[in-house]
Amino acid sequence: MKFLCIPCDEQMQTQVDGIMPEENKNLAMKFKCNKCGHSIAMLTNKFETEFVSKLGVEMGGSSAEGTAPMGVLSSSLAEGKEELKKGAPSADDLIWTEEAQQRIKRVPFFVRNMAKKTVINFALERGVTTIDAKLMDEVREKVGM
Amino acid sequence: MKTYEDLAGDGGSNIVEQVQSLGVKLRSRLDKIKYKICLMSGKGGVGKSSVTANIAACLADKGFSVGILDADLNGPSIAHLLGVAPDAKLEVDETGVEPGHGVHGIKIMSMDMLLSNPDQPVMWTETPEATAVWVSTMESTALRELVADTKWGELDFLLVDMPPGSDRIDNIRSLIPELSGVVEITIPSPLSQHIVSKSITKNNKMGVPVIGLIENMATYVCPHCDKEGTLFEGEDVNELSTRKGIPFIGKIPFDTRISRKTDSGGLFYVENKDSVTGKAIEGVADAILTFIKQKS
Repeated sequence: MKFLCIPCDEQMQTQVDGIMPEENKNLAMKFKCNKCGHSIAMLTNKFETEFVSKLGVEMGGSSAEGTAPMGVLSSSLAEGKEELKKGAPSADDLIWTEEAQQRIKRVPFFVRNMAKKTVINFALERGVTTIDAKLMDEVREKVGM
Repeated sequence: MKTYEDLAGDGGSNIVEQVQSLGVKLRSRLDKIKYKICLMSGKGGVGKSSVTANIAACLADKGFSVGILDADLNGPSIAHLLGVAPDAKLEVDETGVEPGHGVHGIKIMSMDMLLSNPDQPVMWTETPEATAVWVSTMESTALRELVADTKWGELDFLLVDMPPGSDRIDNIRSLIPELSGVVEITIPSPLSQHIVSKSITKNNKMGVPVIGLIENMATYVCPHCDKEGTLFEGEDVNELSTRKGIPFIGKIPFDTRISRKTDSGGLFYVENKDSVTGKAIEGVADAILTFIKQKS
């Protein structure tokens, strides 16, 4: 699926930080025209999203987490072996507060990996080492998650 | 206005490349495995896992390199049968996950090895949002990762221990289109034969090669004197294979020793090759080898 900005006749670009769960059932994915800056959001329900999830791909582009061995298993399997989780290259140095962990768990599981990646990237870009509720509020404000 | 073809790439979502990359990874694993064989029944409780483990041991004993994929995600038992401890540490690096090493050097990958403790069921999420559709989706993805992300290396045989249900072959076929064949397992009971007949029909209709039918628990073998007795009163399984037009490749007796967990580093077949049951297992393994030889 590709998106075209009609006025500019330019291909719109997927916004990596634009994936956000809407309520608990929907997914919004943002696209932006790099020429005029116009943005749109593609909304899907979880059954539409299933197609992509089943392929094991990540919306917004592949991440190190997503391409790690058994990446989907390690991120989706509740209480999976820690070794698998460690196998996935991630920001190991980041500390998640209990509240932040609870909030990320509330994200629908089919986009949780992407949401986590967004939060991690946000923290790393700012040099933050602890992910807490305040930081997640900032992410929500910035990217709508 | 530009058309779809005028737009290069996919706008940064990278989905096409990701799908291609997954396919390449899967192919690179499978290309190193000569023969892929499913052992299935349609029905649970017929002893698929025990038969699979012992056939694997027999093939390994004959000098073949063998791996087992435990495709029964919700009732995994292969690791347990072959002596891979559930708390065994997994070795993971960027190239994949090292499989478990069971008796006779059989390589194993099973959901059991990915769970934190022996009592833990497979749960994709701890929240109630995992509907049946999502569970099914995750199971497909899990199977793909278990095949593609395991460092199987060069293998002669990959045996796939299937879960109950004739529908489950669909997932495996999409993962392993070059499947060498399936072995159908039943017990003498009319109910089991009724269900396995559906599985055979499905495989025939879908063009999946059926290597043959095994009658498991065909008789009862006394572990002390090796004498056989009748266990189930049922219809002749041979008649089912004739009716379905597939080879009948062996009768394996019920033997209490066959499904015991291996604590000693051995497995039933390895320790009892010359028993009635051991010879029956070898007969099935030979039938598989004959099928492979004829096909290649």
